[in-house]
Amino acid sequence: MTLLGRDVAEVEALVTDRYLDALLASAELAVLAGDERDDAATRGGHRPGPSLDAAVRLASARLTRDLPRFHPSFRFEERLAVHLAEAAVAMRLPAAAGAEGTVTAFPNRPAILPDGFDPLADPDPDGDADVGEMDVRRPLLIRGAVAASALSLAGAAWVAWRRSRGGSPMGRAARAGHAMRGRPA
Amino acid sequence: MARPVFWRSGAVENAAPRIAHLDRDRPLVEAARRDPERFEALYRRYLAPVYSFAYYELGDHHAAEDATERTFLAALANLGRFDERARPADGEGASTFRVWLFRIARNVIANERRSARRHPAAVLDEATEAIVADPLDVEGDAVRRDEAAAAWRAVGRLPGDRRRAVVLRFVDELSTAEIAGILGRSEGAVRVLIHRALRTVARELGGRDGHG
Repeated sequence: MTLLGRDVAEVEALVTDRYLDALLASAELAVLAGDERDDAATRGGHRPGPSLDAAVRLASARLTRDLPRFHPSFRFEERLAVHLAEAAVAMRLPAAAGAEGTVTAFPNRPAILPDGFDPLADPDPDGDADVGEMDVRRPLLIRGAVAASALSLAGAAWVAWRRSRGGSPMGRAARAGHAMRGRPA
Repeated sequence: MARPVFWRSGAVENAAPRIAHLDRDRPLVEAARRDPERFEALYRRYLAPVYSFAYYELGDHHAAEDATERTFLAALANLGRFDERARPADGEGASTFRVWLFRIARNVIANERRSARRHPAAVLDEATEAIVADPLDVEGDAVRRDEAAAAWRAVGRLPGDRRRAVVLRFVDELSTAEIAGILGRSEGAVRVLIHRALRTVARELGGRDGHG
């Protein structure tokens, strides 16, 4: 493509971009005003500039009007909310248990992500980034981690309770007497 | 969905873009950093947009749910790594939570698509069927559903980043600056992507209309 051709393409793209800004803004205003979304898109919520290609304008209106939005099921939404709450609790547990031992940092990646996959990595400039083979696992490990932490806390509480019970002379004497009765003569 | 969180200032196209920060998510992000359980507010706000993006990319409800789940779990676990960079000096690298979240979604979806590529035609057909059968199509009109299916098919046939840019622009109504941040491209490149995509869609829809 020549330099002039590239400039023309960029100008056309810029005109289209400005048109889309106005088109989507007018559609949003129409929604806020209680009008039909496609009214603004097709009936003149925005008047395009004279240099905008008619076919591009029509395609923009069609996509604004026809492309649906999707929402997941309520069941999925609530299930994932529970998973996130469990993960959030797991992130707080190390700090809560910090007084009893070494604080271990919560891993940066959730357990469901495959090894070597960084969800924060820069996208592939080719637009089809593939960051390793996906190992499809459900987030059971996170729930397992929460359960294991809960068991560990319960064990620590039990030991602390036993130690507190064994602190008095009367308690030690009672346990010694009980042990003596259990021995063979 | 609110309108873009970026303001572009300056009219010189070839100059370094300047972006002023208007991240409306900042209070929620700060609250979630202090208390991870407060992440739920961000989750509720962005569940539908992320899921919608995933569904357009994957064409399958279950796969979209898996990608959505991974995206939010990764976002929660990595929230401490979120670097809010939106000063004018940051230029096109400026980031808000929404851009950051969609970048995660884009990477997670790229992994999902790797396995979905084994049956690309089946995915497209499944997605089109989903439009027709979707109860959220409030119009309930056969002609309208047919037009929605045609639009979906036209977008679904676009290559990689053109398709993503169109979905992010028209469905999630993100700004060009935000899409550039998500796709890792310049704003100018995103504008050209969308313009070319619209030309392709126009040809396809026009040809379809012309042939009945």
